[in-house]
Amino acid sequence: MARINPDFTTELKKYGVFDANACYNCGNCTAVCTLSDQENSFPRTMVRYSVLGLEEDIQMSLDPWLCYYCGECSSTCPREAEPGELMMSLRRWLTSKYDWTGLSGLLYKSLTASLTAFILLAVVILGFSALNDFNLEQLMHFGHYFEMIAIAGVMLIILLPNIFRMWRLSVYKAEGNIPIKVYAKALGELLVHMFTQKRTLGCDDSQLRWFEHLVLVFGYLTLLFTTVFLDWFSTGSQVIILLGYAESAVIFVITLLFMADRITRNKEVSKHSHPSDWLFVVWLFMMGLSAFVVRLFIDLQILDSNLWIYLIHLIILIQWALIIVPFGKWTHFLYRSFAMYFRKVKEA
Amino acid sequence: MEKRERLVYDVLVVGGGIAGCESALNLAKLGYKVLLIEKELSIGGKMILLSKVFPTLDCAACITTPKVSEIARHPNITIYTSTRSSSIIRKDDHNFEVRLVRKPRYVHIDDCTGCQLCEEACPVSITDEYQYGMVGRKAAYVPFSIASPRAAAIDIENCTLCGACERVCPTNCIDFTMEEEHLLLSVKSVVVATGFELFDPVKIPRYGFGKFKNVLTSMQMERQLAPTRPFNTILRPGDGKMPDNIAYVLCTGSRDKSVGNPICSQICCMYSIKQAQLLMGALPMADITIYYLHIRAFGKGFNEFYAQAQDMDVQFIKGKVGNITEKENGNLLLRVENIEKGTIMEAEHDMVVLSVGILPNMDLSESFKNEALTLDPFNFVDQADMMASPAKTSIDGVFVAGTASGPMDIPDSILSGGAASAEATSYLRRDTK
Repeated sequence: MARINPDFTTELKKYGVFDANACYNCGNCTAVCTLSDQENSFPRTMVRYSVLGLEEDIQMSLDPWLCYYCGECSSTCPREAEPGELMMSLRRWLTSKYDWTGLSGLLYKSLTASLTAFILLAVVILGFSALNDFNLEQLMHFGHYFEMIAIAGVMLIILLPNIFRMWRLSVYKAEGNIPIKVYAKALGELLVHMFTQKRTLGCDDSQLRWFEHLVLVFGYLTLLFTTVFLDWFSTGSQVIILLGYAESAVIFVITLLFMADRITRNKEVSKHSHPSDWLFVVWLFMMGLSAFVVRLFIDLQILDSNLWIYLIHLIILIQWALIIVPFGKWTHFLYRSFAMYFRKVKEA
Repeated sequence: MEKRERLVYDVLVVGGGIAGCESALNLAKLGYKVLLIEKELSIGGKMILLSKVFPTLDCAACITTPKVSEIARHPNITIYTSTRSSSIIRKDDHNFEVRLVRKPRYVHIDDCTGCQLCEEACPVSITDEYQYGMVGRKAAYVPFSIASPRAAAIDIENCTLCGACERVCPTNCIDFTMEEEHLLLSVKSVVVATGFELFDPVKIPRYGFGKFKNVLTSMQMERQLAPTRPFNTILRPGDGKMPDNIAYVLCTGSRDKSVGNPICSQICCMYSIKQAQLLMGALPMADITIYYLHIRAFGKGFNEFYAQAQDMDVQFIKGKVGNITEKENGNLLLRVENIEKGTIMEAEHDMVVLSVGILPNMDLSESFKNEALTLDPFNFVDQADMMASPAKTSIDGVFVAGTASGPMDIPDSILSGGAASAEATSYLRRDTK
């Protein structure tokens, strides 16, 4: 039997701005949503679950991940209950539920905790650099290997267990055992959605948003590849150098556009910015920009006398890899595509 | 043209709808001299244009027209149509100075017999606003067949000044030299009965009103059902087909913060249920579906009326319509979540009626120059003492009647008109001069 928990929305409000209790259950949000269908009809169901505090039902559902936030439900909601923002908050809340360390929840709910973590990490890196006498070569060597180790470590220790937890809650608990064959058959869905985010095209707003996001994702992934495996900062190949410039420029230009949207609040999706949204977009921007400047300084042969710029890049990189990737907004990259995958599995 | 002489009346009633008419008639019967002003060409307000009333299914015109003609003939009542007040200034106790602007009709009402020869002669065709845009009319026209006064008027903005009407008029009542009149008036009391505006569904583009021809407002359907209807039967405006599967979309522009009107209009549930029953009579084979949020059947006999519609097999589906799209054949697809089943559905109908809500009419509030007529948070006239004296406003001697104070149905409007006249009477009796 379901247990009602009226305090749930109070807890959920720490993850976003909405007023689910204003909802009078008209279903306008679900009816205007172009992604909502017979099998997955949202967001009204999620609003009801939230108002009643049915945490288990929310955890067993993939619906929050199936919403790509065009915001049509929020702008047409007759009660201004902001169902779109509620779905966003549920995604943050689910992220914290999937995370076995519990750190996601802590960082989402407390800006102070997030800032403390960022500052602590910066101090540690500065300390570590001091121990190495601020030797540029050693630091760059460290930075290069750190990236590889961090990627592998975060993936193995945090993200894989979290995806397992997501699977257990949303697939295993809801549907029980499903033959391996089904999982194998649906695997294509995972890759397609991970690398195209094509579901966004079903949204009601302009397709420019999807295009910008896609370019950003590819810029980010290829820059990662270029720095880690093609060793962008030390390579002599002109092709690789130019490629890296292009990729990092793509990152800081598109994130600049995203930041402008969040400042002007000109779209429904950028109207409400949670601290985690700001940290994500600002850090991505700074990462692209600082990488670009570091390589520029290398090419101008002035990096030796400007060690500070590499230090800044290193700090941003490590904060990104150890805070935002495992515990912050970065995880939506995985959860969204896995949600599409799991949905396919559940439907079979 | 300024008239120098000052007109004197006991009461000015602003608005010739059913509430204003009720107030004016009550006051006149008690011996007070009343001036009733109306901005339209005819008195009778919105009620005179309706088909039938809920929950009794009485003919609206049959209730309105006797009342309207009684007012028109009453020796204590003077009616000015096409007239607005430009300023109302309180001079002292029981004394308001009012300025009126009377638009020229270009027809001498007293001489016009309503023969409509001018209408036949007029070469100009335009959309008929009294039939809510569904048919056309001429530039020289009698507003509608049961209008009061039933006299012609010239729509000067669309008139080509060809003079055809003037030549055929048997009583020579058409006079293009008429000018705007400015009148000065002294009254002891004012009754505000300015009524309401209907929500314009163009403000909800996803319902396609104005773009899809077979999406109508409830007022257009009301006209199609009225005895003085435009088509003499129920037709879809798009292609003249007789509809057989009609949908009603409740709460169009009511209880909706996203369009700036968060309150319930109080009448849409019941008039939609009424129209559904009338349609079942007019089109016995038609299916009627009402998409609703909550059916508010709170008045006397309302719930029985609702149950009657259910017994007649009117379908009620709980869920707010999200959007409407048009098919090639003019049919419409309504996307809605069926709340009771929890599923999304796309329903096809050949005609859609948007049950539009009530909005405040704020025309008059600017007229009060030295004392403000306070409005409530939703811009209806604020009732200063709603429980004890519902007709009282923020100004002593100014009373409110009918939907000027908030959404209400016809019985309540008439009651409210009665209350305003009673309170105005007790105010006039206090006059010591």
